[in-house]
Amino acid sequence: MFQPRQTEKPPVGIVFDSALSRVDDALAMALLYGLDGKKEERLVSVSISRANLKAAIYSDVVGRFYAGAVSGAIGFGGRTLPVGLADSGALKDDQAFFAKPLLRSTADGNPAYPSDIHNDLDTAEVAAVIRNALTAQWDGNTIIVVSGPASNLARVLAAGGAKDWIQRKVKLLVFTGGRFPEGPTESNVKADIESARRLFAEWPTPIVACGAEMDGLVSYPGSSIEKDFAWSPAHPVADAYKDGGAMPYDAPVWAMDSGLYAVRPQEGYFKVSDAGTIAVLDDGRTKFTPSAGGKHRYLIFDPAQKERIVKAYTEIASAKPVERPQRIPQKQQQQQKK
Amino acid sequence: MTLTRKALARRTFLRGVGTAIGLPFLDAMVPAFSYGKTVETPVRMAFVYVPIGAIMEHWNPSYTGQLGELPRILKPMEPFRNDMMLLGNLTHNGGRALLDGGGDHARATGGYLSGVQPKKIAEDASYGDRNGHSVAAIKAGITADQIVANEIGGKTRFASLEVGMEDAQQAGNCDSGYSCSYTNNLAWRSDNQPLPPTLDPRTLFERLFGDDGDLTPQARNRRNLYRRSILDYVTEDSKKLETRIGPSDRAKLDQYMTSVREVEVRIQQNEKDNRQIDPGMEKPGGTPGDFAEHFKLQSDMITIAFQADLTRTVTFLVGREGSNRPYREIGVPEGHHNLTHHRNNPEMIEKVAQINCYHMRTFAAWMEKMKSHQEGDRTLLDNSMIVYGSGIADGNRHTHEDLPTMLLGSGGGFLKPGRRVIYKRETPICNLYLTMMEGMGVHRENFGDATGHLPELTA
Repeated sequence: MFQPRQTEKPPVGIVFDSALSRVDDALAMALLYGLDGKKEERLVSVSISRANLKAAIYSDVVGRFYAGAVSGAIGFGGRTLPVGLADSGALKDDQAFFAKPLLRSTADGNPAYPSDIHNDLDTAEVAAVIRNALTAQWDGNTIIVVSGPASNLARVLAAGGAKDWIQRKVKLLVFTGGRFPEGPTESNVKADIESARRLFAEWPTPIVACGAEMDGLVSYPGSSIEKDFAWSPAHPVADAYKDGGAMPYDAPVWAMDSGLYAVRPQEGYFKVSDAGTIAVLDDGRTKFTPSAGGKHRYLIFDPAQKERIVKAYTEIASAKPVERPQRIPQKQQQQQKK
Repeated sequence: MTLTRKALARRTFLRGVGTAIGLPFLDAMVPAFSYGKTVETPVRMAFVYVPIGAIMEHWNPSYTGQLGELPRILKPMEPFRNDMMLLGNLTHNGGRALLDGGGDHARATGGYLSGVQPKKIAEDASYGDRNGHSVAAIKAGITADQIVANEIGGKTRFASLEVGMEDAQQAGNCDSGYSCSYTNNLAWRSDNQPLPPTLDPRTLFERLFGDDGDLTPQARNRRNLYRRSILDYVTEDSKKLETRIGPSDRAKLDQYMTSVREVEVRIQQNEKDNRQIDPGMEKPGGTPGDFAEHFKLQSDMITIAFQADLTRTVTFLVGREGSNRPYREIGVPEGHHNLTHHRNNPEMIEKVAQINCYHMRTFAAWMEKMKSHQEGDRTLLDNSMIVYGSGIADGNRHTHEDLPTMLLGSGGGFLKPGRRVIYKRETPICNLYLTMMEGMGVHRENFGDATGHLPELTA
């Protein structure tokens, strides 16, 4: 596809891999698309670690909603990114927050949120879509944000020569899961213990974990959905929030924590542990051992930042999509549509 | 079935001065004790590359599963519905810009069979790699055919055969800073060693049947001057062989020698005519100007090479990627490449579709030949795996996903043809090659950018 040669390093590329287990995963998508609109990063890959077609359709719907803001590595102009979908795994079931909005209709009976995905073959092969997105990034200019089991990343790691190109392309992996410095088993790790173990043992770049001890310390205010998203008559993330619980309620923001830290590490929203090594034990428990040369760290909640964090979440997640310059002249694109 | 006391060796050659003609599979090559058992015949693999993709709305059927009515471009393949598979959504990621800017044509071919993105060549910093490093030398990757040739090539006279039709230029900038090595070669022995295809039918013929160890250049010239057939040089060996084989083998041998002779005569005729449809195009003397005739000669020689087990691995570059060849013989005087940038102009789209159909008709005629040769209880086509495709899908937009990809033959029963199989988006085309390698008896866990095999092809 016609793409001009990039001579200036663009904002960091974000690869978002999520299980869409809770509404905070949808909020994290809104946050990342919002930060993309602010040109603080570019969302270059979206994949789902839940073997559930509706989850992929919902992700596509959100992508289409923000299409003007997406500066994808693979698509161009206003096109959405292909959505990678896991073939199998422990997580399969529908969740109301992503399934119900897909049933919504417009006044004339059409789907409120049309999608390009109608069956599994409209989704993308997970390992390929993540790897292909990485190959299109400048060296050391990608951050991967995982919110869910490590299954998809373990598949990426299994590809030929993976460690070399991951090390070259990826700056940081932020993993939402585990419990630190140690504690009982956490669900994202438990869903695929083997992949989590492989990820922490073999992933070649630094990893920052956002453990379950962070979950619930900050909440997304339900009032923001009615107020900040009011500009849009049909917003897939606002609808997901409403379908995800009895309104009004304050939702968890665990996945958003990972996204915000990934893009704005310098802002001091969170404290970060010293370096060390995270090990995944046989029963799925995670254990952090400090060591000077370790590649792993974990996030630590800073109560003094709570207000700033909530402000950032509500402002960025509710931001309007931003039109991006077309990669090919608009005139030519119009001709192609005819 | 006629059996001699001692089976004829599979690699028997009819030899004469400067000549070595391999033989097709004969009943006499079956050992006596194997009567009633399935005869092992070799599996062959070929990659046929057509430039600049296709008009995909005339390529992709609207259905999956068993092949039924085929779209316009594929219409000539309807007699082969049970011998072919149409594969959807395969992707050549290395063909994409990946921050390296223009050069889709070079990347399409240069990494088609390796899954890598070729490096730009110019030393000028503005043509450095995506991270600004200057790169001077060509660099792509070893191709799937050569992985197989390295493993099994020792079993045949030629480890692999590289055949082409259009342009042999190896130096210079052919596409936005990419070397001509990328657009003009399909096979790469290593990441910096392309294997240029043989374009001239005479050269290919001499390579297949000549025996340069015995023939001096003067003798070869004398032979060509007097237009003696290479068959004249192997008369003695032929007579000896005929005493060892039965009537059905004699008929098969006669048919085979006739096809060799026909190719030879057509080459001589072309050399005589030396006609060229486009005087502006550089071609070796004797190369037919007519696309179909050139294709027929080259593909007939590939068939003979497969029949005689001279090689089991072939790459066939039907046109240079980005080719601007006109096709006046079908009423398309405009250059192919110019037409593919049609900007949705219906007339230009129609002409590109006509070129795509023309390519397919010539290919179908070849497949008919492949299917007409019997080898034991299968045909030569059955015993082959032939990919027909391109590293670009939509030539107007230079897309590298959902490539036009057709797989012919069953690889000796390894594949289960007759279907349209669609994969998930972004599935690497290297997954197909990894699977085909398995069918050739070459096991690899990884290749190129593959993420796994395609088990649906064999199930």
